[in-house]
Amino acid sequence: MKLTKINKDKSYHWYVLGRDPEKPQAIIDTNQYLVVTANKALIMDPGGIEIFSSMLAAVVKICPIEQVTHLFASHQDPDIISSLGLWDQALPNATLHSPWLWEGFIRHFGMSNISYSAIPDGGESIKIDGVQLTFIPAHYLHSSGNFNVYDEEAKILMSGDIGAALEPHDAPMYVEDFDSHCDKMRFFHQRWMPSNKAKSRWIERVSKLEIEQLCPQHGRIFRGDDVKRFLDWFDKLEVGLVED
Amino acid sequence: MEQLDREYQYFVGAAQVAASLEQANNIAKQLSITASNARAVALRAGQNAAGFKPLTDFIDQLANTTISSSKNINELANKLSRNSANKYRIDNAFNKFNGVLQSNNQAQFNQSLHQPISMIVKQQQALSFTHRSLLEKLSEELILLSDELRTAVVLATLSRVEASQADTDFQDTLYSVADNVEEAATKIKAHILSAIEHVNSIKLDRR
Repeated sequence: MKLTKINKDKSYHWYVLGRDPEKPQAIIDTNQYLVVTANKALIMDPGGIEIFSSMLAAVVKICPIEQVTHLFASHQDPDIISSLGLWDQALPNATLHSPWLWEGFIRHFGMSNISYSAIPDGGESIKIDGVQLTFIPAHYLHSSGNFNVYDEEAKILMSGDIGAALEPHDAPMYVEDFDSHCDKMRFFHQRWMPSNKAKSRWIERVSKLEIEQLCPQHGRIFRGDDVKRFLDWFDKLEVGLVED
Repeated sequence: MEQLDREYQYFVGAAQVAASLEQANNIAKQLSITASNARAVALRAGQNAAGFKPLTDFIDQLANTTISSSKNINELANKLSRNSANKYRIDNAFNKFNGVLQSNNQAQFNQSLHQPISMIVKQQQALSFTHRSLLEKLSEELILLSDELRTAVVLATLSRVEASQADTDFQDTLYSVADNVEEAATKIKAHILSAIEHVNSIKLDRR
């Protein structure tokens, strides 16, 4: 699994873990994110059972396993958090932050040791070793209970499925040509995102944030001006479409 | 992988034991109805079937014993199935953690995996212990119930003897009670034997 550090010059570190060459072909490629502070670590959208071993192997390249004290699941999908039952064996004292709406569902993946911290609909902030991370509401994009993670200091927004693209597992980690990248995003957003109203509310909300990197759970990371380009593109895109 | 396949067989085997006992339980309920009907016939027949009435109490007792015993066994089998499913999951976790530990030597913090692995091993041991004791208990209860069912053969024979001495108006009904008892006991026994076979095959795999 490819491991890339995505922030610079900070006392703490953001990593993206993805492009797993060992993953079975038929499952969708996913990006997992890791924030490592002085003594703690948070894994965001830790992924499915199929990529657990690759994830575990990648995490212990960065920090001791017991340093992982927090998990975040943006929503309930299997590619987001079906590995929970295995992380539960590794992280007996960790906390999983996830939408309140999905607690009874996510626990089906197996959770005897990890604690569930239910995020209210309006979102909330947590501090990990003094690093503030804010759970930004992104409901119905696509899941009905759904959050992004915003780091004001690093100016990074982990945007979950928003900004996702369907690409081969060896695609570059960053968007290089925005215009050609749009084709890879269109279907994903039109088919999996159900609500134009929810989309507009989210764009209005995140437009107020200072974002240098927008990091989706599938596809590539947007940097600099491409963040604004993405928001404009998404604003104009009609979603909730299906050809039947 | 082979180990996980075996674990899979364990909880499927335990579920099969539970299913067999569920069927035995349903037949025992029918046996209880047979006992009630037989009691009603014996009362109607009065002195013409005087010897039959005490037998109906024994049939009822046999049905109740079978119902309560198969309920207990069913609970044990369900516990065994749940325990085996947990063992399957924990063994899967062990294989994944151990696989990373063995193949990821160059990772700076690879050794930190020893701690969760030792916790997993403790859980594996606890689940194995529970598995063995549940299996033993299940085996004992099944044999006990199987022994109880020998009474059914005696009851069916005695019912036939009493039926032959009863008034001809009631003979057919009383013979059919005897047949029902025998038939129910044969079916229950077949389910119990099938359950014993499943338990033995799990035990055999364990060795």
